[in-house]
Amino acid sequence: MTSIVSVHSFRGGTGKSNTTANVAAVLAGRGLRVGVVDLDILSPGIHVLFGVDQDGLDHHLDGYLWGRYPLRAAAREVTPPGVAGRIWLVPSSVAPHDIARIMAEGYDVGLLGEGVRSLAVELELDVLLLDTHPGLNEETLLSIAMSDALAIVLRPDHQDYEGTHVTVQVARRLAVPRTVLVVNKTPESFDADAVAQRVTEAYDTPVAAVVPHSEELMVLSSGGIFVLRHPDHPVAALYAQLADHLVGVRA
Amino acid sequence: MSGLRGRVLVVDDDPVNRLLLRRALEQEGLDVEVAGDGGRGWERVAGGGFDLVLLDIVMPVLDGYEVLARMRGHEATATLPVIVISGSDDRDGVVRCIELGADDFLPKPFDPAVLRARLRSGLARKRLADLEREYREQVGHVVAAAADVERGEFRSGSLDTVAGRDDALGLLARVFGRMAHEVAQREQRLRAQVGALRIEIDEARTARTVAAITGTDYFADLQRRAADLRSGPGRQNGDQQ
Ligand SMILES: Nc1ncnc2c1ncn2[C@@H]1O[C@H](COP(=O)(O)OP(=O)(O)O)[C@@H](O)[C@H]1O
Ligand SMILES: [Mg+2]
Repeated sequence: MTSIVSVHSFRGGTGKSNTTANVAAVLAGRGLRVGVVDLDILSPGIHVLFGVDQDGLDHHLDGYLWGRYPLRAAAREVTPPGVAGRIWLVPSSVAPHDIARIMAEGYDVGLLGEGVRSLAVELELDVLLLDTHPGLNEETLLSIAMSDALAIVLRPDHQDYEGTHVTVQVARRLAVPRTVLVVNKTPESFDADAVAQRVTEAYDTPVAAVVPHSEELMVLSSGGIFVLRHPDHPVAALYAQLADHLVGVRA
Repeated sequence: MSGLRGRVLVVDDDPVNRLLLRRALEQEGLDVEVAGDGGRGWERVAGGGFDLVLLDIVMPVLDGYEVLARMRGHEATATLPVIVISGSDDRDGVVRCIELGADDFLPKPFDPAVLRARLRSGLARKRLADLEREYREQVGHVVAAAADVERGEFRSGSLDTVAGRDDALGLLARVFGRMAHEVAQREQRLRAQVGALRIEIDEARTARTVAAITGTDYFADLQRRAADLRSGPGRQNGDQQ
């Protein structure tokens, strides 16, 4: 059975896409078949981390939502060399007129649910990761509702605290079986254990990882996945730990 | 030979003597000031800035004993080297001056070589005393800096003058300053962390936001269907490899 995992944050730029890509790489590294869908239709970006050139982005989630082709047709394999498992990515369109059309016309949110399910079946996925849009609009609520596990990414600053609280409350009402917090962009000088403890207590929700603000991570934002570039770095171990929380401890 | 350096005060009521001494001292390379009686002499000395005093004994207004006693009684002049100018037959006067704290004496008429030797040792004593005082002051700075660290008020840079020394005290100041700076930075970071991690949530406001999101028909429908969405086709029938 496919585990569906949503990666969410109340605000943008907190590191959802980075987190999603790294968890995908960890899981594929364990031999799993992993799907990734860029649900951040209005500000897509995760394809960059998988090295997909936007010029070649002719099949995408937007096209599926407009009924042009099945979602499977928009999935492209992006398995990095040397990885035991496989990764498929469904990107969103980066073309401004496509994004404008989605904004103006909206789309049938129900189609998303169907598409995700059939993708899971057709690609025989072990895990399907949904890189969501910030905030809590209908498609994000749907992806949370479908999820077996939810990772809420926040930065340790006051701008993120209330929105994270709202997301945690909403996830509880949708009875998401497993919700964890990921504290990202933590100043290097902060004590990770103290951060984890404070955040766990404040939200009564486990903290799966406290990821430092890392220059190496930032450098890779133009293309590259941290755990593959720096497999022995302590931060790579944090993503492995997060993956354990999201799909159960590795076999 | 290299000349001497320093500022010397000659206190003598005999103008000829004053002139001779001034010349001799200036020839050694010293800056010279003169006073014609003990009263003015004391005023000048108390004004500060001298490295050595040549002091006659028998003078009007204040005699040499009185000037010497006042000097030794005041902290600023207590260790200032004093060479007493004495008549060659005035043994008792010399003894009394030495008891009052004079460092040396110079018999009249003076021999230039003897004068030079006494100046040299007097100025050396002064320099040593200055160095000692400076050392004590700088040790005091380090001690004060330690107290500042305890109170959390250490300012980096406050030990810069001491740290510039090329002796063990300078090393102490440099190492101490660096460590204190690190402690201060760590405390600052800790304060930043404590501030950033004060997770205050306005319960009423978030409750309103949650209510707005969860109060819709769409959300109610999702809630009803959530369990199905998480199972259903594509989720738990035999689609694993
Ligand atoms: N732990 C981190 N340290 C440093 N930079 C990070 C970290 N996580 C993310 N970033 C950077 O922050 C930016 C936003 O990250 P991204 O994953 O695209 O966020 P989101 O998908 O939530 O908008 C990117 O430039 C990324 O490289
Ligand atoms: Mg993103």
